[in-house]
Amino acid sequence: MLIFAIVAPIFNNSKLGLSNGSFISFLTTVLFVEYILFNMISFQEDKYKGAALLCTTPYTRNGVIKAKYVFILVIFIACFLLYNLAAAIGASYGLTRLSIYSVGVALLIISIFFGLLIPVQTKFGYEKTKYIFFITVFLTPFILPTIIEWYQSIDININFNLPIPQSIKDWIPFAIAVLMGLISMIISIRIYSRKNL
Amino acid sequence: MMKAVLEVNNLKKELGSFSLEQLTFSLKEGCITGFIGVNGSGKTTTIKTILGLYPKDDGSIKFFGKDMEKNECEIKNRIGVVLDEGYFYEEMTLKEMKSIIAPAYTNWDESVFLNYINRFNLKLNQKIATLSKGMRMKFAITLALSHHADLLIMDEPTSGLDPLIRNELMEILLDFMEEEGKSVFFSTHITSDLEKVADMLILIDNGKIVFNESKDELLERHALIKGDNRLINEHSTKLFLRLRQTPFGFEGITNKVDQVCEQMKDIIIERPSIEDVMLAYVKER
Repeated sequence: MLIFAIVAPIFNNSKLGLSNGSFISFLTTVLFVEYILFNMISFQEDKYKGAALLCTTPYTRNGVIKAKYVFILVIFIACFLLYNLAAAIGASYGLTRLSIYSVGVALLIISIFFGLLIPVQTKFGYEKTKYIFFITVFLTPFILPTIIEWYQSIDININFNLPIPQSIKDWIPFAIAVLMGLISMIISIRIYSRKNL
Repeated sequence: MMKAVLEVNNLKKELGSFSLEQLTFSLKEGCITGFIGVNGSGKTTTIKTILGLYPKDDGSIKFFGKDMEKNECEIKNRIGVVLDEGYFYEEMTLKEMKSIIAPAYTNWDESVFLNYINRFNLKLNQKIATLSKGMRMKFAITLALSHHADLLIMDEPTSGLDPLIRNELMEILLDFMEEEGKSVFFSTHITSDLEKVADMLILIDNGKIVFNESKDELLERHALIKGDNRLINEHSTKLFLRLRQTPFGFEGITNKVDQVCEQMKDIIIERPSIEDVMLAYVKER
């Protein structure tokens, strides 16, 4: 995973050849790494039900849930640091350092993805969540074009011109990501508090 | 008067078609309390509910005089738990599993942990998946005893173990009890284990507590009666909690020993086993 997190952005960016290829390379790498690692842990947890033993110790149910979100954040930070290393190595392949805004948007996308995945998995369990996401991924190519068509037809022009400095605007995606993460965590904690282990 | 280390009042928990019905019992400090019942009687459900693994529907649970919901961390620091299925991450080694559990406890004692590991001949670098059932139980007990717990709660710790390991486990419990202020609560359907070590017995059947009393008093107050079938009639049948008749005679458990002795002559009176008493109270399904 460590090597993948360094090599993948360089490889992806060299193949994509887009103007914002660095951002997309980072985003795909971090999504992939996060999902694989989170899935491995979820599988182990579902198989061995170790959380039951953990909850007999002073580790509380809240702590078990918080640990999942902290895990996602830590992996994100690790991937970001490895990306910077990759950017230093792969500068000749066009890989550039990311702006604060880009990192914020990546964190926001991660936050949306896991902000949905973790509560759903907490509620329905690992196996059922796999099927839910499988069906969602399967239906997306059929539903997404209709949504895009509708969006284009209503001709909405969303343009926020907030009277705040650009340096603060760059941090808005971070703030939304953290807020969404917190909301998701509170929902997961509520669900887990009523679960029979 | 002995303090209560655990007080359960009107505990209610529904689990599908099964439910615990207003369970009320308490555990005294300094005692080994056996929690007995047949398979499916509610032993595991009760233990998991009092530990918070199953959220309760109603009732109160207090450990050491403190409410479980409000003092969860403090209470769990003082409890050692051994669950029937271990619930270990089997891909991990003993050392790795310990490294997850140990930091949870403020009183974790590494020297005690290593002492038990050596005593049980366990290898820290061995994967949990490769351990036998007996070794897993020993590891679970090692973890439970390595943080100076005041109360040890065990759910069917001897299930599936051979008599040698079961005997070893009972000795460990007696060693644990040598220190003042310690208590043990363990569920089992192997009542022979309790004959040696239990001070108190709680019988649960179909989600309800049937009795909660001292083992010695329970066995004193009941008797195993054997005699000729001629002695059994409509009146004498009512004296028995459980009666079994064969062509050679009858055998029954009674809690009305004096009346039986008055009304029946030429009978053999024996001290019953815990199993005899348990079966007398458990309703046939």
